[in-house]
Amino acid sequence: MDKIWIAFAAALAIGLPAIATAWAQSKIGSAGAGSLAEKPELSGTVIILVAIPETMVILGFVVAVIILLGG
Amino acid sequence: MSKVEIVGPRQLLGETLSLVRQKGDLHIEPSAVGFVDDIHKQKVHSLLPDEKALFEKIFLEEFEAKLNNLFTCLPVEMIRESFLAPRPIIDTVSRTLDRHLALCRSLFEKREAIQQDLLELSGYKNFLATVSTLLDKIQLTPDLDYIGITLKDEKSVDILRNSLACLADASCELLTVPAGDGALVGLIAATKDTSEVIRSFLSQKQVPEITFPESLQYMAFAAKVEYLQKKIQENEAALQAVEADLKKFTHRWGPMYKAALDWVREQLSIIQASAFSFETAMCFFIYGWMPAEKVASLSAGLQKNFAGSVVLEEIEIRAEDLERVPVILQNPQYFKPFENFTRLLPLPSYTSFDPTPFIGIFFPLFFGLILGDAGYGLIIFLLSSLSTRFARKKQLFQDAIKILKVCSLYAMIFGFLYGEFWGDFGHTVLGMKPVFIDRRKSILPMLYFAMAIGLAHVTLGLAMGIVSALRRHTKKEALAKLLNIIFIFLIVALIITFVGFFPELMTRPLVISILLLCPVLLFTGGLLAPLELLKNIGNIISYARIMAIGLTSVLLANVANQLSGLTGDIILGLIVGGIIHLIGIIIGVFSSSIHSLRLHYVEFFDKFIELGGRKYRPFSSIKNKETDASIPKAESKQQKKLHESPSQSS
Repeated sequence: MDKIWIAFAAALAIGLPAIATAWAQSKIGSAGAGSLAEKPELSGTVIILVAIPETMVILGFVVAVIILLGG
Repeated sequence: MSKVEIVGPRQLLGETLSLVRQKGDLHIEPSAVGFVDDIHKQKVHSLLPDEKALFEKIFLEEFEAKLNNLFTCLPVEMIRESFLAPRPIIDTVSRTLDRHLALCRSLFEKREAIQQDLLELSGYKNFLATVSTLLDKIQLTPDLDYIGITLKDEKSVDILRNSLACLADASCELLTVPAGDGALVGLIAATKDTSEVIRSFLSQKQVPEITFPESLQYMAFAAKVEYLQKKIQENEAALQAVEADLKKFTHRWGPMYKAALDWVREQLSIIQASAFSFETAMCFFIYGWMPAEKVASLSAGLQKNFAGSVVLEEIEIRAEDLERVPVILQNPQYFKPFENFTRLLPLPSYTSFDPTPFIGIFFPLFFGLILGDAGYGLIIFLLSSLSTRFARKKQLFQDAIKILKVCSLYAMIFGFLYGEFWGDFGHTVLGMKPVFIDRRKSILPMLYFAMAIGLAHVTLGLAMGIVSALRRHTKKEALAKLLNIIFIFLIVALIITFVGFFPELMTRPLVISILLLCPVLLFTGGLLAPLELLKNIGNIISYARIMAIGLTSVLLANVANQLSGLTGDIILGLIVGGIIHLIGIIIGVFSSSIHSLRLHYVEFFDKFIELGGRKYRPFSSIKNKETDASIPKAESKQQKKLHESPSQSS
């Protein structure tokens, strides 16, 4: 039973940040595409803005790995 | 970069600008701010053009517009360099230009009209070519009416023939012949009293009838066919003649007019640059920036041409000038392709660092760390080497290939270190063993290793930030960055102590050190300093992606090997394995590049690069060369304009 809870916790630890990252990137991505249509020189800034929320899912991944292997 | 001032007598301004343009090293500053002291501000003012200069500018602009219109009419061809010097021939050119422009425009309009006619007739071309074979077969009589149709396939021929038999009994006949495009061209011969019934039937059944131009409605069918065939031939001959005339004109007069256009553009750019010059009652001043190593060359050129009348002087760059100094990216050959990544961001300011060398060193390293497969690296290297032949003309493509080659070498090196060759294929078949770490099994050690790389990279960024802050004389900022480094190491040491690698006795001194340094951090970095520290720690954890994406890459490769083994057939196994490995390579290249770049843009550059530099734009003839190359580009727009209003384009 413990194993199930550990796996469930790890899945939640990576799943929820993944959903949050996807939602944030969708919003930033659509806004960024709009900005690029008007100002193509902002491409670097837009890449950075789109990339920022990815940290959430990486943090989630680290926590999931620690739950699965470190616990 | 050097801050320079060129001074000379007013009458030599044009010649000086011409020489400066020829050298092509000076970025002319349109503002005198930072160049003229407050005491002399009253005496120095912007150079105002006199009446003669204004008339010259208007004449040259009109002349350039006419020449552009002329090139719009001419075919896009490589024009040789003129053997004549442009200045002496300008008067002759200005006399002949109007006549030649009118001639070329009339030829151009004629060509447009013929092309339009041919476009309209092209719809009939296929039909006419096919139907002429049918005309030979039948006896054309004036008592019969002929209807031309196109049919999709053989099946519809029988259906139509049956329908026509019911409709007009024996008073009509359908003949068909296959056309070149796979359809069928048909000809219905019917008596005049039944032809209208057949037409309405065809229209009802949506069988497309070939309709001839209205002007030919009173002609017999055969005459219409003959007339249109003749007209197409005539138009094609006329088009060839007009194009030959235009080509001949281009060969004969093109070099002269191109030389004139270059000269006019040069004169206009000099006039434009003179608007950025300054004057006193006697002298002119040109202010600007240029690479320090080029100063001596321009100075010597001025000395040689003007015998000391015009001089160049270097001025001291003050602290308030630093924001205005233009920036140029200059890197050794190896780093040049990586400048494309730098250009995605705004330019760094003059006091900051050029990020290109850092990308050139760390981007392939991270790429190799993430992909880390000798087999994949080998395939990428071979593919990029093969693509070199196709990338000769496009600089961006060439750069991408160079970057891929370097990255693939790193992927191979790390592949051998991880013991990976197409996933576990190298281990199981070739007997490869991990030299450094087995990514598939040592997940936690790999995670720690990725974060250790992050720690080193972020610390390097912060250290560079200290240098950058010291360069700007912002000591407080430098101290805040130094404290960030100390804090990060203290926190890392504390974590290691908790894990058990360091003795537990160290916990207390570490906690006390952190608590003692907290007020200093708040003092140097302000209230947001703790947030900045948390951000830096988050940045280090972000490097865990090196391990995470690498793990997915190796697992996908293993899945490919397992699936190809499950097929139980060598050929099928090779196909399945090959396809999945190919997908793995594509995803591997894409994700490794994106994430390596992201680690630079977000985690690394943020620590020390200050963006917002001004681009170095030297006053040079290179710009004109670029504009010349764009003549065909400009043509399409102007052709459109000319097409819309041919009489107004002069």
